[in-house]
Amino acid sequence: MPKEILDKPFMSSQITTDDNDKPVYSPCRYECPIHTDVQRYIHLISNAKYEEAFETIRSVNPLPSTCSYICHHPCENACRRGKIDAPLAIRHLKRYAIQKATEYRKKNRLRPKQTNGKKVAIIGSGPSGLTVASDLADLGYGVTIYEKFSKLGGILALAIPTYRLPREALKEDIDDILAKGVETVLNCEVGKDISLKDLIAKYDTVVVATGLMKSRNLNIPGIDGQGVLLAIPFLIDVFSNDNREFKLGKRVVVIGGGNVAIDVARTAKRLGSDVEMVCLEAPDEMPAWSWEVDEATQEDIKINHRWAPKEIVRKDGIIEGLVVKRVTSVFDSNGRFNPEYDEHITDFISADTVIVSIGQTVDTTFLNDSPLIVDKQGKLVFNNHDYLSNHPKIFYSGEIVTGPGSAVSAIAHGHKVASSIHQRLNDSKTDLSFVEIDKIGDIPETVRNVIKARPRISISLLDTNIRKKTFIPVEIGYDDASALREAKRCRGCGGGAVVDIRKCMACMTCKRICPYDAPVVSFYSRIRQEYCQACGLCVSTCPSKAISMRGMDVESFRKDVIGLLSEKNSNIQTPPFLLYTCITQGLNPEIPQDIKVVSLDCLSRLDVLDIITPFNYAIRGVLLLPCNDDCKYHGVDYWLKMKVLHAKKILSSLSIPQDCIQIIFNNKSELSQNINDSSLNALIQRHKEGLQ
Amino acid sequence: MIVGEQKPFEEIWNMIRQYRRVLVLGCNTCVAVCHSGGEKEAHILSEVIQIKASSTDTSIEVNHMGLVRQCENEYIDDAIHNLQTYEAILSLACGVGVNFLSQKIGSIPVLPGLNTTFYGSVEEAGVFAEMCVGCGDCILHLTGGICPIARCPKSIMNGPCGGTNNGKCEIGVDTDCAWYLIIQRMKALGILHLLEEIQPPRDWSKSFHGGPRRMFVSHVMLNKREDANK
Ligand SMILES: Cc1cc2nc3c(=O)[nH]c(=O)nc-3n(C[C@H](O)[C@H](O)[C@H](O)COP(=O)(O)OP(=O)(O)OC[C@H]3O[C@@H](n4cnc5c(N)ncnc54)[C@H](O)[C@@H]3O)c2cc1C
Ligand code: SF4
Repeated sequence: MPKEILDKPFMSSQITTDDNDKPVYSPCRYECPIHTDVQRYIHLISNAKYEEAFETIRSVNPLPSTCSYICHHPCENACRRGKIDAPLAIRHLKRYAIQKATEYRKKNRLRPKQTNGKKVAIIGSGPSGLTVASDLADLGYGVTIYEKFSKLGGILALAIPTYRLPREALKEDIDDILAKGVETVLNCEVGKDISLKDLIAKYDTVVVATGLMKSRNLNIPGIDGQGVLLAIPFLIDVFSNDNREFKLGKRVVVIGGGNVAIDVARTAKRLGSDVEMVCLEAPDEMPAWSWEVDEATQEDIKINHRWAPKEIVRKDGIIEGLVVKRVTSVFDSNGRFNPEYDEHITDFISADTVIVSIGQTVDTTFLNDSPLIVDKQGKLVFNNHDYLSNHPKIFYSGEIVTGPGSAVSAIAHGHKVASSIHQRLNDSKTDLSFVEIDKIGDIPETVRNVIKARPRISISLLDTNIRKKTFIPVEIGYDDASALREAKRCRGCGGGAVVDIRKCMACMTCKRICPYDAPVVSFYSRIRQEYCQACGLCVSTCPSKAISMRGMDVESFRKDVIGLLSEKNSNIQTPPFLLYTCITQGLNPEIPQDIKVVSLDCLSRLDVLDIITPFNYAIRGVLLLPCNDDCKYHGVDYWLKMKVLHAKKILSSLSIPQDCIQIIFNNKSELSQNINDSSLNALIQRHKEGLQ
Repeated sequence: MIVGEQKPFEEIWNMIRQYRRVLVLGCNTCVAVCHSGGEKEAHILSEVIQIKASSTDTSIEVNHMGLVRQCENEYIDDAIHNLQTYEAILSLACGVGVNFLSQKIGSIPVLPGLNTTFYGSVEEAGVFAEMCVGCGDCILHLTGGICPIARCPKSIMNGPCGGTNNGKCEIGVDTDCAWYLIIQRMKALGILHLLEEIQPPRDWSKSFHGGPRRMFVSHVMLNKREDANK
């Protein structure tokens, strides 16, 4: 969790903005519990910079691969594109970026530079324990994880079905963490194999991150006896002990309506049983994510809504079925979970196996022979600010204190606790937590109406018939073209134009040119961030160079272009061409050597200046390749043509031939969707020849 | 607002080619609004000069910068030490800026990169129209808000002349006949009868013809001046 990355400046050049013009997070970044810079990595994906995309993700997330498979992606639920057509497929793009960077990652595990001599023990290797370990290792602590099971990863390794989270993905993440020098003691249950007291004696600090490993059970007639299983032990048996031969009965009833119940049901299905679920909630009240429910129903799992278990009927000890009673309401008038039943309306579901999946609770084995205390209600005692327990050397982290949630929330909590520990052990005032800033407002309706709809590119799922029988991962990732097309849908929320009020002289140019009515001009212009779509037209037309972008530092962009033009390449005899292209073209990397390529989000950001300046560096011509009919912005072609005309007029006074600047308009008829399209290169070649 | 237009590059080049260190100085007020002389145009022009210099084997060091305005002391004072390191300054301000800077800068030539053209409005994005000549004796209340001096090529006070042609001026179909506009407008305002009143001859001495003008706003003047109370 390096601090520099967490509070990365929004723009490198210093500009003076209006007081109301504070930087804001895009909603995707805001809603992510660890504030992953989603926009940035999506942008890097479009630019084929997978390694940088991966580093952006890794900078805040020690379990990037895992999250790319199983994160509940609050980013997507918040994505502003959702109000236009559909949210970006952020999780799938994350998975794509990470897979593209696999080789790089293996060669570039991050090793801490120095140690600080302090030692920390972490009990439990779930996402929160692993995060504390990773962060503290980064900061130079000697970290040892004590884990009850033989595998690292907590619930991720033990219970999450492999058809959702392939264990190779988790392994990549864990290898990253182990490479930091984190030590592990497996098959060691604290409270049984070693006591907390012993750990306190050996370490400067101990972190209890033991999660919610115990399944709750029901108290109904017939519950005791064979044929009744609990969710977590069942999943652990199947996925941690690799027991795919698990013998379930022919007809299984799963009790519960949460995500774990869905996992249990889908797993039972794959083991060959007919599966039904019984849950208290109506479809829209279920705690399970809607997409998980959808995937379960696709796999022919019947869900009985608004029924509660009443009795398990047995004959000679063998289960015959489950009697259920009608649920009349689930929540009370205050929205609290408080189910009410009509005992007279009942039904019977025949079954030979019942799996109870109604929630998890704390396994308190670790309390044995420990100084930790529980209060009168039996609750653990800790400080809500830094998660220090009643003992000055013991912290809590993860679901044991936050209650059930998601992996990424457990990671976020791990960061918080690591930060508290560092502050305490180092007497340090440095707050390592995230920079908390506001999020951008919704896209106003007027703007929504002008944005072109572009359907979300879904990933393909494994055929349901195969799914029902195997544990093969359900989701099939993106191919290059689909990932690029999806990445291109991002609106760059909050990364748009920003005015330097010292330079603006309220000339109205930005207001007139903006397709989204973002600028408001009085004594100076202020660009309303929630309106701005980050196309950059205003940046390139402002006559006083007063506008920059939060997502792209225009000055350093220009420096980079000059840097590229100044590079000597001994392989090329003749002066090269400069090609400006929209990143979403996803150019074939085998582009001819005598073309220097500069890609940017949209050519609307290019100024006449950017077209003229290159002629100061022995080049033969400037080519401009916009994305044309696929462009997500408005008016780009028109303004580009105008700028080129103006640039040509200027250059004609220097007797530079007019055709030294060429816009390559490619339309779909000339090009296919395929990004490694040789026809694109052929097209560039043709234009180039035209210039020679 | 003052409108200006960049001079043809050949002319600019002939002015500056003899100097070895030149600053292209933008002015970020009026002439920036008309996209002729702001900091951005100064940057573009400096690039163009460099291209020309290298293609003609002329060695010139060219830099660019912009001032808020080149017609006020303080803005210039802030930058004067830097400005004085150059052999010549190519100013993209209007003529006022070039004059004023020349007066202040000492022995360095300040060269005009623009032709200052008129006081104009922004009719629409990228379209600037002349509307006033600063004659010093405004009669717009008598002509329906349309200036015959600025907008009639003959500046006649009792138009239209015989050249008016369906609302257009005889000099070209792109130019509206100012007097046609005046009459239409006064009709609409119900003040056409004002034209029947006999007006005294105009006092052109209030205009440029009376010599360069100066205005004193005594309550903000820091220094007492003899000529201020005249
Ligand atoms: C079936 C299931 C599916 C889920 N699916 C998703 C999903 O798709 N997406 C998502 O975001 N979240 C999901 N979650 C939630 C997610 O797994 C949890 O939020 C997360 O694992 C909590 O992390 P944690 O670090 O607090 O604890 P855990 O992951 O529970 O880890 C606790 C660890 O502590 C160890 N431990 C416990 N007691 C001791 C002891 N005494 N000594 C030594 N070690 C001990 C345990 O063995 C375990 O390894 C799912 C949870 C379950 C149960
Ligand atoms: S459009 Fe892009 S930046 Fe905006 S919320 Fe969606 S993913 Fe984030």
